[in-house]
Amino acid sequence: MARVPPPGSFIPDWHRCTESKEYFNKIIHKKKRKNFGLLESPVMPPHAAVDTVHYKIFISGKSGVGKTALAARLAGLNFPNVHHETTGIQTTVVYWPAKLIENGRVLFFRLQLWDCGESALRRFDHLLPSCKEQVDAVLFLFSFTDRTSFVDLLNQIPKWTESSHGCLAKVVVGTKFDLFMHCDVAEKDVRKFQETWRLPVLRSGGEVSDGLGDVAPILNCLAENLWHQDCVRAGAAIQHPQQESVTLL
Amino acid sequence: MMMLEDGCIQLLCLTASSGVPLFTRGASKQLPFSVIGSLNGVHMFGGGQGVLLSCCETEGGGKVVWRVFHDSVMLIAVSRGGSSGGCSKEEEIRLQRLLENVWHCMVLVLGQDELVNLRNVERLKRDLRSCFCLIDQLLEEKQQGVLGNLTHCADSLLPPNPTLLQEAVDGFAQAADSEFGCLFVHGRIAVATEKWWRLAPQEVVLLSALVRTLSASGSASCDYPVFLPQGSPTVAHRLLRFQLLPGADVCVLCGPTPSLHRAESELVGQLWSPLVETLRSCLSVGERSLPGSVPLRPDVLALLLINRETRRSVSCVQLSSYHLLSDPSLSKSRCWELLKLFYIFSMSRYFTQEETLCVSAEDGAQGGHTEDFLHGFSHQPQQCYLVTEECKSYGLQTPRHQLFLLMLPSVPTFALRTVATQTLSDIISATAF
Repeated sequence: MARVPPPGSFIPDWHRCTESKEYFNKIIHKKKRKNFGLLESPVMPPHAAVDTVHYKIFISGKSGVGKTALAARLAGLNFPNVHHETTGIQTTVVYWPAKLIENGRVLFFRLQLWDCGESALRRFDHLLPSCKEQVDAVLFLFSFTDRTSFVDLLNQIPKWTESSHGCLAKVVVGTKFDLFMHCDVAEKDVRKFQETWRLPVLRSGGEVSDGLGDVAPILNCLAENLWHQDCVRAGAAIQHPQQESVTLL
Repeated sequence: MMMLEDGCIQLLCLTASSGVPLFTRGASKQLPFSVIGSLNGVHMFGGGQGVLLSCCETEGGGKVVWRVFHDSVMLIAVSRGGSSGGCSKEEEIRLQRLLENVWHCMVLVLGQDELVNLRNVERLKRDLRSCFCLIDQLLEEKQQGVLGNLTHCADSLLPPNPTLLQEAVDGFAQAADSEFGCLFVHGRIAVATEKWWRLAPQEVVLLSALVRTLSASGSASCDYPVFLPQGSPTVAHRLLRFQLLPGADVCVLCGPTPSLHRAESELVGQLWSPLVETLRSCLSVGERSLPGSVPLRPDVLALLLINRETRRSVSCVQLSSYHLLSDPSLSKSRCWELLKLFYIFSMSRYFTQEETLCVSAEDGAQGGHTEDFLHGFSHQPQQCYLVTEECKSYGLQTPRHQLFLLMLPSVPTFALRTVATQTLSDIISATAF
């Protein structure tokens, strides 16, 4: 899985290190991911307080590729096993701790995933502008079982140009990777795509395990790209504009 | 005729003109296509003869109920019947109400135009899947503590500190350019703006059901287009929902502004952060739905209290070790079931009210279900009781309230009335419900 390595990288597989436990324990409750309301956030003890950085991420992709399922998977939520179109916008909040390689600084990423069903987008004009408002990243989805969803990326990605949306991090995820019997997108196509667009392509699929292993690569990659983008935006000074300290409730 | 598994209801939806199946829900084992075809056929045959077929009963106690909405969609409910303990009249009311609720769900999500002007059946089939979550909720009836589908009253939770929350909801709605705001705690309405209560009672119930399904998904916020089946069946409003804490959701119904992003980043934190502790104490009321300050006699098993003016209800089951000592076989779910059955029993036989029995105003095919002897009297019964092996039940109504109370069988029958009137006055004086 070749990735474009941005500077300011985070420790990969940090969730496996013992030192990360005190941070990951804040997002896990009884072996399940904790669900935070909008008025809540993970709270570290005062001596270990870390900054929380907020990001808005739009999930883009053809109907049926698994946008809602991916959002639920990343947040550790249950999702319905029968597909139906998401009506309107649904947002999901994911908290994810990560540690910078260069200076050992730990950050809590608050990633708010914005998911909107295709037919609702077409039917109601107000939804897309609302999704685009102050968005920081786009997660492009295609399904390994549906070639048209992969081809459709070529139409989707140019719509999110830097000029009209400012600085945007972009990550591509191929879903339903486990259904290799029905695989419709060849490995070499994915490699070629990656070379052409210079975007990270990740894979998702299979049974949901209770561990963090299957979501960590995607969340780390998102975090890295968002952080990198902020660094670029802020020039040399690594300072996030929206940075805010953890609110104690 | 053994058509279905024990106790379940199957729902069929077809196009009224051509009988094309749109979806089926319920029962794990679907009815064979030939049976679905016959059910549609017999209704159509009746129509040809100038007969409106609305209900029929099978030899085995099963029931089939038909209803056509706006000449475009036909809904059929098939129940195995019998097992739930209700008699056939009650079952029919239940099914009629179910069909009406299902139709309203479909309108809520898709809008009436989409359903009435059938252009593309395949697309409609696909779009209808968005309603399944809501429809399944109606069919399962497993949700403990939610009776609104049956009573058409809003399931409520009485918070220990309503004034603070009321101010917050009013303020939040206003800041979001809306007059309709509502706070849900554990899927029940804790407080709402005055205008929210002026929505049609069925809409309030339906929106509550929608918020419960949205909330169950665990998402943080939503911008959901809704069509109000009575107030605005063809023009969508926006339902903005925010999960403040797990189990506590605030909603507003609004127009084009504010955007979800703006409402969330500028209004939610600012207006609700100071109330986190208040919200937590509200969450701790939990399933009881009544604040701890309201005493309930230990021999009360379950209660449903309806305010007939505001169309709100509170209900709870209290099942402690004390109850289990007297009958270890009692379970929470059985108590909820018994409460529902007693409600249907009382409403269909004694407390008949046009407000709650307007099952099918559209085609006016509704017969009376009241006990025959009532027709000879000029007055309405105000109280009733029922003694069974599992529990003793008492129902009473006043101009403002209706109370349905389930008690342990050990309570002497002559004391039921006193317990019921006492419970009613205790709750009202403590909460001003």
